[in-house]
Amino acid sequence: MADFSLIAQALDQGDRDKTVALTEAALGSGANPQEIIAQGLQAGMAAVGEKFSSGEYFLPDMLMAARAMKAALEVLAPALEQTGIPTIGKVVIGTVEGDMHDIGKNVVATFLSGNGFEVFDLGLNVPAQKFIDEVKEKKADILGMSALLTTTMPVMGRVIKGLEEAGLRSSVKVVVGGAPVTQDYANYIGADGYAHDGGRAVPVCRELIGK
Amino acid sequence: MNAKTNGEKPDLTPRRRFLANLMGGRKGKRISASNPTSVACVELIEKVGVHFPEAHTDARAMAELAAAGYEVLGFDTIMPEFSVQQEAAALGCEVNWGNDNMMPETMTHPVKSPGDVVIPDNLLEKPSIKVVLDAISLLRHEYGDRVAILGKVMGPWTICYHTVGVEDFLILVRLDPDQVRAYLEAYMPVTIAIANAQLRAGADAVVLPDHATGAMVSAGTYAEFLVPVHHRMLAQIGGPTILHICGKCLDRIPDIATEGYDGYHFEWQNDPKKAVEAAGGQVSLLGGISNIEALLQGTPDDVHRQARYNIEAGVDSIGPECAISLQTPLENLKAIIAAAEEGY
Ligand code: B12
Ligand SMILES: [Zn+2]
Repeated sequence: MADFSLIAQALDQGDRDKTVALTEAALGSGANPQEIIAQGLQAGMAAVGEKFSSGEYFLPDMLMAARAMKAALEVLAPALEQTGIPTIGKVVIGTVEGDMHDIGKNVVATFLSGNGFEVFDLGLNVPAQKFIDEVKEKKADILGMSALLTTTMPVMGRVIKGLEEAGLRSSVKVVVGGAPVTQDYANYIGADGYAHDGGRAVPVCRELIGK
Repeated sequence: MNAKTNGEKPDLTPRRRFLANLMGGRKGKRISASNPTSVACVELIEKVGVHFPEAHTDARAMAELAAAGYEVLGFDTIMPEFSVQQEAAALGCEVNWGNDNMMPETMTHPVKSPGDVVIPDNLLEKPSIKVVLDAISLLRHEYGDRVAILGKVMGPWTICYHTVGVEDFLILVRLDPDQVRAYLEAYMPVTIAIANAQLRAGADAVVLPDHATGAMVSAGTYAEFLVPVHHRMLAQIGGPTILHICGKCLDRIPDIATEGYDGYHFEWQNDPKKAVEAAGGQVSLLGGISNIEALLQGTPDDVHRQARYNIEAGVDSIGPECAISLQTPLENLKAIIAAAEEGY
């Protein structure tokens, strides 16, 4: 019986080699890969998210955990070929057009994928139409948009309008964020959710899709 | 402050007023209003008829738009560099210079290891560096007898964000700290060379942005990596310097205060009273007015309130906390100067 909490701990510490070794051992001892992910890797990532939100962890710590997670998922990939990596929902995410700040968006994408969402990251400087096309094509449950400039914040509202026009608005939940964005602003443009930081983005998205 | 002074305090020229504030010297009748980072906005651009991207790439356009900060708005300083990408462009990154509604950005991060770092022999001749030097010379010529002219050059930490990429660089803080040190060591001469060239071209002081901000790295990381490099860097820059780090920084102001900068340009979210306390009189504080809450979304009254709060807190020179949002209304910027004109 593998101890998944040790995997979570190794990931929390950003120790890639240890996370990989423990994941291999767990797999070798016959553990269910889905459980390794849920109780090991995702549990570890959740802890990292909380520490990031509370100011105990910083970007380098988050990046180390993400690196460990990626390596461990590669170990599990063959075992997951039949079932695929279990996901609780699909998220299309990007930084809006005209905005080149992508650090915060990347943090959010990392935490979401680390917590069981399937994330399609469109990168930065993403045109409004691209968001709409991708939401449609990927049948996304959630669209996440990031804007760090006040010049680019209104673009998020325009994408929401575009979703309405394309008849997609009711099929996707929209969450927004970025330093100048507030809950009030999110309400004002008609978004469904807002999170102040990457750690908090996870519960917000879970709640939106009832998971 | 002395309880009593005999008669009127002297009314200094903008240049002397700013320099006295920056260097912790005597106070005239009123605090200076300064802009260590860009005050270009759409209304100002339309008023002077000089546009982006020309104002990033043409020295005359750059100088003219920058001078509007003094001519139209009444700031005591003129700072002609609007982007944060001049060095990146000179060091091999592809830069998209944007337009009136979009600030420039670095599109590629070509450096993969400290060994890749190449500093061109003709660094000061590279168009994106030379344009700023030329703009400073033009401004010195035209305004040097009245207004403080500020240069600006990125510190080695911010240069790494651009050339290496933010995440590829920041993970090294934990993965390979020696590489971080090697990068900073490699780029430090760039900052020194450009800063000194700007001083020679006629800048009264140089702004050094080095974005090791609280949202990204801990105060411990700041102390470990930035402080020793800044110490050595400042020993080789021959004029007044102003550090710019926006974002949450209260926890590292005590470290910043000991680095040897003459000024630190800070954000409103670091309560100005606490910032003054943390600086302990060892570094002058500049800025302090919120770009979003007050300057962009607020009224002139909101700006006035923040400005007076800063003055009462003992901040040395007031102004926007960072490069302002392009849609900032001019009347809000003017409210900064109006608050300064009321005196201490
Ligand atoms: C680092 C930084 C940069 C870097 C960006 C590098 C990169 N690849 O991203 C560089 C140096 C290149 C840069 C450039 C510029 N910057 Co800048 N920058 C910053 C700084 C210091 C930190 C931003 C950051 O990365 N924080 C760390 C991350 C982790 O936090 P975050 O982005 O807030 O994200 C978190 C939350 O907001 C939330 N979140 C974010 N997105 C999303 C999305 C969803 C769906 C959800 C749920 C949550 C969420 O979760 C994230 C994780 O916790 C801020 C200062 C500040 N106060 O924020 C200025 C700041 C954003 N920059 C600013 C400016 C003005 C600029 C420039 C215009 C400067 C210039 N003169 O050229 C250029 C713009 C270039 C462009 N075209 O976009 C201003 C913006 C003002 C405004 N709102 O209009 C700021 C606010 C500084 C200020 N006080 O004025 N910048
Ligand atoms: Zn800034």
